[in-house]
Order: sequence, then structure tokens, then C-alpha cells
Amino acid sequence: MPPNRGDRPMRTMLTPRSVDLSITNRCNLNCTYCYHFESKGNSGRDLPTEDWLHFFEELNRCAVIDVTLAGGEPFLRKDFRELIDGIVKNKMRYSILTNGTLVIEEMAAYIASTKRCNSVQVSIDGSWPGPHDAFRGEGNFERAVAGLQRLKAQGIPMTVRVTIHRHNVDDLEAIARFLLEEIGLPSFSTNSAGYVGQCRSHSEDVQLTIEERTRAMETLLLLNEHYNGRISAAAGPLAEAKHWLEMETARRDGDESHADCGQLRSCGGVFSKMAVRADGEMVPCSQMSHIELGRINQVDLKETWQHHPELLRLRERRTISLADFEFCKDCPYIPYCRGNCPALAYTLTGEENHPSPDACLKRFLEAGGRLPERRNQPQQDCC
Amino acid sequence: MPSSQALIANPLIVLREEFDDWAILFDPDTSHSYGLNPVSVFIYKRLDGKHSFEEIVSELRSECQNAPDDAETDVQQFLDDLLAKGLAGHAAQQR
Repeated sequence: MPPNRGDRPMRTMLTPRSVDLSITNRCNLNCTYCYHFESKGNSGRDLPTEDWLHFFEELNRCAVIDVTLAGGEPFLRKDFRELIDGIVKNKMRYSILTNGTLVIEEMAAYIASTKRCNSVQVSIDGSWPGPHDAFRGEGNFERAVAGLQRLKAQGIPMTVRVTIHRHNVDDLEAIARFLLEEIGLPSFSTNSAGYVGQCRSHSEDVQLTIEERTRAMETLLLLNEHYNGRISAAAGPLAEAKHWLEMETARRDGDESHADCGQLRSCGGVFSKMAVRADGEMVPCSQMSHIELGRINQVDLKETWQHHPELLRLRERRTISLADFEFCKDCPYIPYCRGNCPALAYTLTGEENHPSPDACLKRFLEAGGRLPERRNQPQQDCC
Repeated sequence: MPSSQALIANPLIVLREEFDDWAILFDPDTSHSYGLNPVSVFIYKRLDGKHSFEEIVSELRSECQNAPDDAETDVQQFLDDLLAKGLAGHAAQQR
């Protein structure tokens, strides 16, 4: 049994190591389950180039190591190269989250030429147009795959995120074969459409039923074993399958407690990273864009990072015991649970400092869900 | 390295102080990073092209309690390591 390190303090870095930047609110697509639209993140006008460039200088002074460019669709910005130049000039590396449809050859070549790109993540939700285009719009599967191929041709580190929903849950084997064998990616990651942003308005069409979730967990475990750990997940059915199986084994074996469990400790993001909305408002995380920390270039980043009451409140989250929640009453999994994503907890309960009902094993089982057979999973990144 | 010749930190490298007095040196071009303990940070911050080896050791002895007798050797090894990795270089001589 692992030791219980429940009283181990979590140290906050002097400055954030990484910052997620939503550089635009605009997008050429309108995906049914987009987390950005219908969220607080979709507010105000996009910042002008010079404001971002000025902020990059502050990030440099704070020794921030890397930024993630997201949106909206980041490639919609006409000054995209200027922004990349500013990142490079200020001694940072960058990643890009994109729908892939606007990746032209010249831009891929430019990204490659900077030699500072950690990765470009393209969203692809199917092995053929049907499941992808069902929620992302007709023709966009072909465009995204073409973008991916252009990135690959330039040797840019790339990854694919597959968002699992009701239209692709039965396409997972074909998706894995398509991405890992046909396209030749080293790996890809998965999650599932969460109850955030536009998904809240289309939940019944998009989000997996309990039966589908059970099936997805079983399939992904098998696929991950078959592909020797080349499928990863920080959330969604694969992550849940692995974590929940550990929790169930611990409960069955009578383990007293697992490391960092029993409190709201699932997310350590606020100890090492933060985010900025397209309008320049700093927020703890792009998924918690309703918590406003102040405008870039108007408030001091380091001061905000170290002392803003909202960040301190979120960092205190990890001291809150799950046993104190009525929601967790009589739950046998408390010693093995970390309470899950605070952003999802907020959208579902109105409180960040609350366990997230969405990723609750007890509720899943009570609703008729079944855990898959335990398998020896290859090692990989997980939450 | 001649002991009196001043070194200068590679300006393309990021010194990132994370917890307490510990830090990492990060090379954004390669993604390589190197951990620095507090004494190494103390030394690295003095690689400004002005501090000589002797001055760095002298400041280290006055700032750090219980500096070992052979501190010079340790400092020299650290500086040699920085030079070998391209994390520092010799300051250009002014004519």
C-alpha cells in the first residue's frame, strides 16, 4: 500500500512555468461541444498584436518556459507569425491547439523553422468524415487530416486529441488504426465531451450514456494494451477506467488510503500554470474563465500569481476533505479519490471547491455503469 | 580557464527560479534543462562578465556559512561544466 502523504504541502512556484493563451475568440468552425463558446472565455474583443508582444516581455522577465496558443482557432489571427516571433524573441517555447483546417503549407514550414514548437495538437474525432463532421461541420475531417499531413511533412511534433462522443464511441478501433497505423502518429490522446461551454446546450446529443461510457472504457483499455500504451488520457473514459479500477482494487483490498487522496487534490494546475483570455483577462485556467484575476499589462503577473485571493483559494482546495461534503457521504472510495476537475465541478455544482459529479465512481456505478476487466496497462501519462 | 578571467552567462539561456533558492537553467532552443542548487544559483547570477573567479569565491565565502576549504575546486568544476554545456562563456576582452 502506498504511504498516505495527505499532509504533504504543495509548493507554489515563484512564477507560472506555463501559460495558456487564448489569442482569439474567433473560430472558423462552430463545434457542437466547443468549451469556448458559451463560456466566459468568449468575451470581449481580441487583443491587438502589440498588447500580446508587450505581455510576452513580462513572461520573459518571469522566466515562463512555454505558452500554449489556443482560441477560438489560433490560425485565424493574421498576425500569427508576429506573435510566434515575439514568443521566440522572449526565450519561450510554444504549443498550438487547433482544429487543423487552416494549416497551410507555408505556415507549417514557418512553424518548423522556429525550432521552438513543442507540439501542434489537432482535433480529429473519427476515422472517416461521418463521426468528425457530425459535430464539427461537413468537410472538416478532410481539412483537418490535410492539415495534419502538412505538419507531418515538416517534421513538426504533433499530436491528435480525440474527443469521444455519441457519434464516434463505436469508431474507436478504427480511429486508433487510422491515427497510429495509417497516419503514423507515435501516440494520440483522448477525452470526452464534457459538460462545459456549448456542450451544455447539446448534452443529450453529445455526451456518452452510462452504457456507452462503459463500452468506451473497455474498448480503450483493450486498444491501449494492443498499441502498447500509445493512447493517453488525462480525462474521459480511458483515464477513468484506469483510475477507477485502481480505486476499486484498493477498496476491495481494504487499503487505508492512497497518496494525495481523501481531499480535493485532483488538479495541480494552479501551482504551476495559468491562462489568459482573448480579451487579456488573466484566469486560473482556460476552463475556469469566469474567475477574473486582472488584465495583462495592467496588473503585475508575478504579484497576481503569488497573492491573488482567488488563486490562493483554489490552492487551498487541496486541504478540503471529501468527507466534509454531503455529496460524498458514505462513499467507500473517499480514501482513493481526489475529487476530480474543479472546472467541471463548477459547471455542474456552481462551486470549484467541490467534488465533480461527472467523474464520480460511486455515481457511475449507482447509475448502472460497470467497470471493465482489470488489465495490465502499459505505462503512460495520466492525471 | 584562467582563474581570473570573467565568465558571462549565455544570454540565450533562461534562469528560472522556482522554489526557495533552487532554480533551473532552461535552453529554449533544445528544451534541455539543468537543475541548480542554491549555491549554483548564487554563482550563476555573478556570471556577468565582471566578476572574476576569485571575486565569486570570495563572495561565496562571505555569504555562505561553513563553505568548505576546497570551495574553489567545486566552483571551478561547476564553471567548467557550464562552459562545456555552452551555458556560459568567456566575456569578450575589451581593447
